[in-house]
Amino acid sequence: MVEKVKARVQELLASGKVKGFIGLRELHGHIGPYLFTDGGDLDGFVIGDRKAAGDTRYPLNTQLIMISRQYPEETLGVLVRGCDERGLKTLFNTNQLKPEKVVSVGIACPQELADVCECMKPFPEEFVAGEASEARPFGSVERIESIEIGERLKVWLGEFAKCIKCYGCRNICPMCYCPECTLEAKDFQAVGSIASENPIFHLTRALHMAGRCIDCGLCSEACPADIPLRTLYKKIADIVDLEFQYRPGYQDSKGKMSPNVLGEAAKH
Amino acid sequence: MMCSGMVSPDLILRALSKGADGVLVIGCHLGECHYLEGNYNAAKRVAVLKKLLAFAGVDPARLRVEWLSSAEAPTFVRVTSEFSEQIKALGPSPLKEVA
Ligand code: SF4
Ligand code: SF4
Ligand code: SF4
Repeated sequence: MVEKVKARVQELLASGKVKGFIGLRELHGHIGPYLFTDGGDLDGFVIGDRKAAGDTRYPLNTQLIMISRQYPEETLGVLVRGCDERGLKTLFNTNQLKPEKVVSVGIACPQELADVCECMKPFPEEFVAGEASEARPFGSVERIESIEIGERLKVWLGEFAKCIKCYGCRNICPMCYCPECTLEAKDFQAVGSIASENPIFHLTRALHMAGRCIDCGLCSEACPADIPLRTLYKKIADIVDLEFQYRPGYQDSKGKMSPNVLGEAAKH
Repeated sequence: MMCSGMVSPDLILRALSKGADGVLVIGCHLGECHYLEGNYNAAKRVAVLKKLLAFAGVDPARLRVEWLSSAEAPTFVRVTSEFSEQIKALGPSPLKEVA
């Protein structure tokens, strides 16, 4: 699978279609994001499967935003799974990236990953490797909804109580790009103090993911306390779909703008 | 606030965690917004937040949105007393800072 991806990247770099390619590289036993600039030197190029498929994913779109802000004239390539592509579309819609300056190289996720992710679309529109797996429903959301409403808060508070307020969930999130974060606004949250103001810390973040979260699951993976954050954000995506008929990343990039769910007042 | 469209859901959550047992958002009648669509936005946002609260296990009845003009004092009195009775019946907010 990785050979097909490498061949494509090689071609993009050699032809000059892209100036650089943001992918993953294994170095000294670690897998991390890397900017490949020479098609002839793709040493260590990996797609992030170590023990299991997709177990070392990174928010490469975040790197893409950072690099393209520094080199606005250059066209860059980026490795995308289904969720990353949803992210790209949403970032185009919200003017964080220019579609004409980005070339994505897609890979489809295997069924085992789609199952774990409860993924609605485990493949990008075009992919050079892998096969389209089946979508899976949000079983984790249904499980919470099967709990009587009075009991749900206890379940969530039990989860949130484990939070060490490391901000890892926010830091890893490819869709968290606000210059000023409400979770660090002094009049809103006691920054750094533990425990976090539960459940407001988590509900505020959930609210801010409305119309933005593309359900990549990196937040849940990053959370050292194993809080099922993704379930909360899956629900907010369902709610936004119901209220606004919009699900981030599922409309084409020239389609609907993301709804103004939070409004101007939410910008601090 | 100048417009119900300026009431951010962040502020509503904040109020609930800082001691309010319920939040009533009152805006101008739909179609009569000075800023054109502020109250439509408010309605949508409150709807999103109510559903999120329910998922988290908080009775969504703690949050309500009403449309009233400044010329409707009796209705204002009725709506607010009704809401406050309802909230009293629900008891203190379970969202009050647990930490
Ligand atoms: S959410 Fe999971 S299964 Fe879906 S595209 Fe992303 S990594 Fe693949
Ligand atoms: S990653 Fe987990 S522990 Fe860290 S702030 Fe987020 S929810 Fe809390
Ligand atoms: S799943 Fe988590 S990390 Fe991914 S976009 Fe949503 S909130 Fe951000």
